Amino acid sequence: MAEMTWEKVPASEKGTTSPGIKTEKLKFIIGGILLLVAVLYLVLSGMDGGTQYFMTIDELVANADYDGQIVRISGAVIGETIQYDSTTLKLNFTVAHIPKETNNLALTLHEAVLNPAGQRLEIRMENQVMPDLLQNEAQAILSGKMGEDGIFYASELLLKCPSRYEEAIPMQVE
Amino acid sequence: MYAEVGFVATIIAFVAAIYAVLASVYGERRHNEALVLSGRNAALVNFAMLSVALCALWLGLMTQDYQIKYVWSVSSPSMPDFFRVTALWGSQSGSLLFWSFLMSAFSAAAIALNWRTHRRLMPYTIAVMMAVMVFFLGIKIFIENPFERWWIIPTNPTETQVISAAFIPAGAVAPEYDRLASSAQGLNPLLRHFGMAIHPPMLYLGFVGFLIPFAFAVAALASGDLSTNWIKASRRWALIAWLFLSLGLILGGRWAYDVLGWGGYWGWDPVENAAFLPWLVGTALLHSIMIEEKRGMLRVWNMFLIVGTFSAVIFGTFATRSGLVESVHSFARSGIGFPMFFFWASMTVLSVALILWRRNRGELQDTHELKGLLSREVLFVLNNFIFMALTVVIFWGSFGAPIISELFMNTDITLGADYFMRVTPPLFLALYILMGIAPISAWGATAAGRLGSALIIPAILTVISLGIFVLMGMTIPVALIGYAFVLLAGWIAIYETYRGVMARRRIKTESWWTSITALYQRNPRRYGGYMIHLGVTIIGIGVIGSTLFQQETQRTLNVGESLTINDYELRFDRFDTGQISEDGRIMDIAVLNLIRNGQTLAQIKPRRDFFPENTDMNSMTIAGAHSTLENDFYVLLVGWEEMNQQQATFKVYINPLINLIWWGSFILIFGTVLAGWPHHILPERVRVQKRLPKGTMPEGV
Repeated sequence: MAEMTWEKVPASEKGTTSPGIKTEKLKFIIGGILLLVAVLYLVLSGMDGGTQYFMTIDELVANADYDGQIVRISGAVIGETIQYDSTTLKLNFTVAHIPKETNNLALTLHEAVLNPAGQRLEIRMENQVMPDLLQNEAQAILSGKMGEDGIFYASELLLKCPSRYEEAIPMQVE
Repeated sequence: MYAEVGFVATIIAFVAAIYAVLASVYGERRHNEALVLSGRNAALVNFAMLSVALCALWLGLMTQDYQIKYVWSVSSPSMPDFFRVTALWGSQSGSLLFWSFLMSAFSAAAIALNWRTHRRLMPYTIAVMMAVMVFFLGIKIFIENPFERWWIIPTNPTETQVISAAFIPAGAVAPEYDRLASSAQGLNPLLRHFGMAIHPPMLYLGFVGFLIPFAFAVAALASGDLSTNWIKASRRWALIAWLFLSLGLILGGRWAYDVLGWGGYWGWDPVENAAFLPWLVGTALLHSIMIEEKRGMLRVWNMFLIVGTFSAVIFGTFATRSGLVESVHSFARSGIGFPMFFFWASMTVLSVALILWRRNRGELQDTHELKGLLSREVLFVLNNFIFMALTVVIFWGSFGAPIISELFMNTDITLGADYFMRVTPPLFLALYILMGIAPISAWGATAAGRLGSALIIPAILTVISLGIFVLMGMTIPVALIGYAFVLLAGWIAIYETYRGVMARRRIKTESWWTSITALYQRNPRRYGGYMIHLGVTIIGIGVIGSTLFQQETQRTLNVGESLTINDYELRFDRFDTGQISEDGRIMDIAVLNLIRNGQTLAQIKPRRDFFPENTDMNSMTIAGAHSTLENDFYVLLVGWEEMNQQQATFKVYINPLINLIWWGSFILIFGTVLAGWPHHILPERVRVQKRLPKGTMPEGV
């Protein structure tokens, strides 16, 4: 039977653990540790430059510590503020604060845009192609820096229009 | 009608799967042959019923039965029929059905092909496959049912409410057809692309395919047949799964490149990474099981790898479908979040416990020990280490760091592309180095001198080809270092294949074609493997070129004006607005001429599509490109002046060598097919006899 051979061979090899094999094992262990350290170093140095804090607009505006540091924020796009110059590729718009946690994203976005008392933040982007999804009540996830002028200079823009993926119900307009 | 048939078929499939698990396990333990057989048949019934269910949903889509909520949410009256088929996997519940169907098809194929050859492993294998099936069908029936229909029920004497339910609620009536048809949304425009039409099925086939090796491995652990039988049974399945997973990833990249309009193909997005993780672990597995077959080593490790691969498959599915990617907290809100997490965790823990149990009983001992720093075993172990390191760092960047920071540090961090672009390139480079050296090293121990002499010619060829890259103007040192190792791996693959052919030709007088085909027939795994390595090399050249040497510019042009970049001239000829396509989209097309050295190369037509019936995402920018082996000239129509349409803005990318990625992918796919092609039609005994007169082939180096 196959199992028998599996057990016999290692037993015979075990008896031959010579000092040579021991130093070889040591070499492998040291080599393995060195490799692990190298990978760990890579990860740490990658995190050094690549970590972005994700925060709400309220948190960002209230906390000056993050000015000049790359952060990610999320907000509701206010449709009427969108200005796009297709010749210079400059994009300006304003987003409204939305809380981190929400049970109904579409509703939260809708309310955030309509709420005049909510915190708002002006966004500037350069060299930006007008995104297809940028529209009123879309969720914008932006990476960038808060400028001293209170304007958020974004370098990356991700958009989500939630209603498609939420429980849409037909004929609510009855 | 279709909804009822589909739902009933799903329920029968669910019951059959439960029965298959119980009958197989109980029958095997009691040595009750009849029960084992009935368990097998139940698994086949499961496949038949899921085929019926899938057909029912498909017919629902084709006949535009918008009362079925799923049909309503992914299709609309104006959609062409092709997209009605792809709409089967256009949204969560349908794709779960499609996924379950593929899983049952794989299970049925495994039963058909392996029932006789691996009779002892089969009952437990069936039990594992069907247990996974029970879970997915359970989710489908109880949480994400694609056969739910819209109903109008009276809530009080004057008002009515629209709800969705699988069965007719009391007093409910079906909504009018016209109302449903007019409100149906249609498939998300982003998904209306050929790549997106076949990318999900390929990915699913890859994901689901790894269920079979996983099931064989668990069956080996459960039954106690811990020889290499499970590897023999599952090696080819793993290769098939790997093939589809590779295809799925490549098509996904191609789709992103064509549709998302940022000039790239891989964004290190958590969803992409989630599909990449099983590929990494699976690739490690495909290499590592060779050592177990040849040397009886790494037996525990291989078990961990196969469990890891399937665990990564389930994790990826769970992470992308549950909302975990956005936030730890949002996943709980998705109905399938907790069940999937529970399934993933318990499946992984149980499998690992099984491995440890067998290991502690001393049943997974290796026959050889690792020795010799340059032996093939050690290089394979290193290869495994690097693949796992990549898996861990990518997992950490996409899921680990964000989740831990959110749960324990009360901050919310994400690691952007910068992290991945810093951490992964050294590891990928290490893989290329190993990919070159490992195949020319020997089992047991390799003499450094011999390795060196096998390297001479490939090294010379590498230096020559590096010279070509320098002449092309690619002189960034980092790029040249990268190219050096990537090219070396490729040249070794080519040179080794050449040596194989020459070794044959020294003995036999035959045509080149016969020599080459005979080589692939005699040792498909080895030479198919070289072919895959060559494909990976070509992909690597494309990735380095398109990442490090991409050029980008943008300009606003009047009709008749040109922009220049490098030695190219791009002339804006005219603007065709309001073109209506067959699926109802309205296209605004810019027509440009690409000129180089006074010669017209191509007409490029970037465009903006508008989808009048979609309320949410209703426009889409589609790039125009001129593709050559040298580069892609990739043009986006960014905006235009609305009034007289004489002026438009374009963004232009030159992506050097990017097409090598797609060409390399073809070679990779071809090599995988070669390596896995089942040409052993002769019975085992005849094959052994035929194989005996050896000596015509170089057996390793």
